Amino acid sequence: MVGVRKSFGATHALKNVSFEVGPGEVHALIGENGAGKSTLMKVLSGAYQADTGQIELDGERFVPKDPLHARRSGIAMIYQELSLAPHLSVEENVLLGEEPHRFGWLNRPRRRTVAREALAELHHENISLDAPVSRLTIAEQQIVEIARALIGSPKVLIMDEPTSSLTQVDAENLFTVIDRLRQRDVSIVYISHFLEECQRVAARYTVLRDGESVGAGGMASARLNDIIRLMVGREIQDIYPRTSHALGKPVLELQALRGVAKPRSANLILHEGEILGIAGLIGTGRTETLRACFGLDRIKSGSVWVGSRESTHSSPTRRLAEGIGLLSENRKEEGLLLNRTLADNLTLTRYGPVSKLGLVNRHRQRQCAQDWLARLEVRAQSPEQAVSELSGGNQQKIAVGRLLHHNARIFLLDEPTRGIDVGSKVQIYKLLDELAAQGKAVVFVSSYLPELLGVCDTIGVMCRGVLSAVRPAREWNEHTLMAAAIGQWQAATS
Amino acid sequence: MSDPSRFNRRRVGRLLNAIGPVFGLALVIGLFSLSPAVRAHFFTGVNCKIILLQTVIVAIGALGMTMIIISGGIDLSVGSVVALTSVVGATSLVKGYAPVTAIALTIAVAGGIGLINGLIIAGFRMMPFIVTLGMMGVARGTAKWLADNQTVNAPKSCVNNLMDMLDPLHFFPLPLGIWITMALAVVMAVVMQRTIFGRYIFAIGSNEATARLCGIRVGPMKVAIYALAGLLFGLAGLMQMSRLTQGDPTVAIGLELDIIAAVVIGGASLNGGTGSISGSIIGALIMAVLRSGSSQMNWPNFVQEIIIGIVIILAVGLDKFRQRKAAF
Amino acid sequence: MKSLLRLLPVFVLLSVAGCGRQSEGTGSTPGARSYTIAVIPKGTTHEFWKSIHAGAVKAERELNEKGVKTEIIWKGPLKEDDRDQQIQVVENFMSRRVSGIVLAPLDSQALVKPVENAIQAKVPVVIIDSDVKSDQYVSFVATDNYKGGRLAGERLGQLLAGKGNVILLRYAVGSASTEAREIGFLDALKSKYPEIKLISSDQRSGPTRETAYQASQNLLNRFGNEVDGIFCPCEPPTIAMTKALRDIGKAGGKVKMVGFDSGSQSVLDLKNGDVQGLVVQNPVLMGYLGVMTMVKHLQGEKVAKRIDTGVVLATPENMEQPEIKELLRPPIDKYLTE
Repeated sequence: MVGVRKSFGATHALKNVSFEVGPGEVHALIGENGAGKSTLMKVLSGAYQADTGQIELDGERFVPKDPLHARRSGIAMIYQELSLAPHLSVEENVLLGEEPHRFGWLNRPRRRTVAREALAELHHENISLDAPVSRLTIAEQQIVEIARALIGSPKVLIMDEPTSSLTQVDAENLFTVIDRLRQRDVSIVYISHFLEECQRVAARYTVLRDGESVGAGGMASARLNDIIRLMVGREIQDIYPRTSHALGKPVLELQALRGVAKPRSANLILHEGEILGIAGLIGTGRTETLRACFGLDRIKSGSVWVGSRESTHSSPTRRLAEGIGLLSENRKEEGLLLNRTLADNLTLTRYGPVSKLGLVNRHRQRQCAQDWLARLEVRAQSPEQAVSELSGGNQQKIAVGRLLHHNARIFLLDEPTRGIDVGSKVQIYKLLDELAAQGKAVVFVSSYLPELLGVCDTIGVMCRGVLSAVRPAREWNEHTLMAAAIGQWQAATS
Repeated sequence: MSDPSRFNRRRVGRLLNAIGPVFGLALVIGLFSLSPAVRAHFFTGVNCKIILLQTVIVAIGALGMTMIIISGGIDLSVGSVVALTSVVGATSLVKGYAPVTAIALTIAVAGGIGLINGLIIAGFRMMPFIVTLGMMGVARGTAKWLADNQTVNAPKSCVNNLMDMLDPLHFFPLPLGIWITMALAVVMAVVMQRTIFGRYIFAIGSNEATARLCGIRVGPMKVAIYALAGLLFGLAGLMQMSRLTQGDPTVAIGLELDIIAAVVIGGASLNGGTGSISGSIIGALIMAVLRSGSSQMNWPNFVQEIIIGIVIILAVGLDKFRQRKAAF
Repeated sequence: MKSLLRLLPVFVLLSVAGCGRQSEGTGSTPGARSYTIAVIPKGTTHEFWKSIHAGAVKAERELNEKGVKTEIIWKGPLKEDDRDQQIQVVENFMSRRVSGIVLAPLDSQALVKPVENAIQAKVPVVIIDSDVKSDQYVSFVATDNYKGGRLAGERLGQLLAGKGNVILLRYAVGSASTEAREIGFLDALKSKYPEIKLISSDQRSGPTRETAYQASQNLLNRFGNEVDGIFCPCEPPTIAMTKALRDIGKAGGKVKMVGFDSGSQSVLDLKNGDVQGLVVQNPVLMGYLGVMTMVKHLQGEKVAKRIDTGVVLATPENMEQPEIKELLRPPIDKYLTE
């Protein structure tokens, strides 16, 4: 097997990426959220087609037509979100899509041997073939997933953030498995935020930023600080309203908040007039912290204080009554009623001003919605339009508008600028600034470091379910935030 | 975005949505008026009265079902509940209760069943399909048990007049049941369109997660929805009893499917979040007109069944088509 | 409010139509001497109803040959055994203004109102097969079911020589015809064979062979070892019970079986000796007389309020006699060619 070489030139998400992996080599692919890693994976696996550039497999030109073709050609993929069928047994999951058969009839004994061999190869014969996958631990599920990938004897195995939901010990085990695979001459593309891990398993690395490969080299000789600089490497632009706000008395306090799985321990104190940013990688528990705080998820321990009153266990209804509003990170699946009108979406939490004795006054409701549409500069034809007809940025303004209509005092915003255009982003920044100036308090979760640094008064970093050390924004920079997010506290404080 | 032609197309789409069921009804009526032999009898006052009378039970059921389907649920127990309440009503009349008491008791029993459905669905977060499927058996069995496996003949009372034709030669006077249905349809349309309660039902059906996020107490709302619908199903059962002048534990088998069909023909989506009372009422009328018309055309029963089946598929298919148009 | 406005045209349409032309009655103009007669059975699948249909068609042919233009419309309820559906059929024929309705009511009470409404709307009704609790109909053309039941009781008593354990599997509630047979059967036993013990008479077969089969199996599970004789008051339970008896090896005379109505299966059972007596009605005559009585009434003749179409006991011994043979195998094919 000669090396595998791929280079692309897709337009937006991927501009110019090249890297190569040799047989039995582990290659780390490093980059921020949104740097283009997942797009790259999809091109490799055949889900997307590259516009320009080419992929070579074993020295020959390779154009993956679809995921099945890619898999048949020896490219296997293990996704960040496990993609197993929870009700099926381990055996069935391992063989899913590759069932040994004869004329459509399943060959049972053969199935068992194949599945058992695949697990044995990973030294995990202890996993019962008949157990339903949902009963296994996350780590075991991951093994099953890898076993499934190995069934087709792949030449290249792509692993996307494989340790994001694993404990330290399980991660160690996974590294052992990776070593074993390497000995079988399987090439591995290892995608991760965690530089330590990359150092541990990979021989070489490539850093992606904004869809370009900006640096590469041998892992052994690399300095972590250099890699972080490569990952961030961006100027903070002047689209942020940098006014300082006068902080008032505390309005919301989380003390060692612990949810069912995440967060493990979240601490913060939010003041009137404060915009508090929470940085961190996807999946570290930022969303879960907000949800638990808002009464959507169960709280296991710790406490929430609203004003000077403890109110740990709550419901969204009560939180809204307390003047707390949550903007969901997923506006399509949770944030908005897509097939309902703009007016309904805006006034849903507070019908008071537009109704009398339980009867909604349609005219007043429309008027009220019209006012918000104008104030938020939403581009829409009428308040009677369905939300689904708007663009992403305008949809997000509707979701924010609902919190404004509700007269919330405390805004919990989860990725409010994700997937929206720059113009809308700037408007939202301006709006947050105004809110803080009026003495309202904002918690601002974002994966985009420049906006956190540009908008927030204070910033805390969440890493592996723990949020602590909220510090004034001026004490942070992108470098230190990134270092803290990937658990490099020494680098963060240096 | 602000392209005027697109704007117009959207308005046309919405208009189509609004008049879709009415258009369907007109089409069906038009179809039957093609045959001169049928025309002579089809457009008589008596026939219209009979069609309305035959719509009453499905229509009242559809009022409750529309609410449930808009909230993203389903209730399969309607037919059995109608049978049970007809038995309860007849039995209480036999036992000598005053008609008002019997009516109240009948409707309360159905409301209670709805309440139980709602409590199970909301409390244990179980699928409405399963819960009400189970309740379908429970209610049917209870009806047979209460009635001792026979029909219960109710003594003559004012309850029997609800569905009486009164004058079989003229359109007016209309039976009380028809007036009640029309009044309830108006009330329910106002509830769904104009009240906060109604808006919350749409919100829950459109996206339950969002509704929860927006502080709507989804659980209690669901309980209220199923209980309220139960009351309506009880009324439908009362109408059924009035029509048969007896409580019949085996009546209305499969009625729930007729009701669901009416709601779906009326433009509701089984995914929840869309639908209207007026649409459902028209859906119920379309089915009654089809039945009456094909009977007058001398078509055998199986033709009727096939046609109604096709109409359901067509109605839903057209709806999908309209929605796709509206999305662009 | 928009949604309500949408409903407006419907009501307008319906009420305009309603206030417009009133009933004008086409078929029943006496000078034209052309009649449209609706015949409504309880269901359409049982052979019994096919025989009635055949009789109605026979009447139609004879009338047309005589120059009385007659058309028969045969239509059962959409769902068999559904009272509400049968009411709908009656109502639809009423609004269609047929010359007359020949009805086999599914229920003696539930059908009263629709029948009286039709009569009030000047659509006369002849009742066949089962009675209805009203006296406004033209005539009741049916088997004397009570007599039939007595006949069965006497036969079973004679077969058991006056002693033994007997089961009565009832049909369904509200069906007047079968109830009369059940009463006749019980009366005959009580008066003529007082020593015979009735060990079960509270079970019902339900409307289909399937429900009847289940009921029979349940009964035989419980009483299979004690029972000496069984009576079933109509076709579905007769066939089902005989099959259930065969299943446990008690057919062929070990348990005496007397049934009611002839269908091809029960006739076969009679021939094989699994059934010892079959009370047969004359459904062809019932359908025939139902239509004939209606036409006579329409032509202004006076008709009897009660017309008996007769019952006969068929046994393995007499079943080859020609007059019995015709009752056991009604010449349906001669009339129903579809």
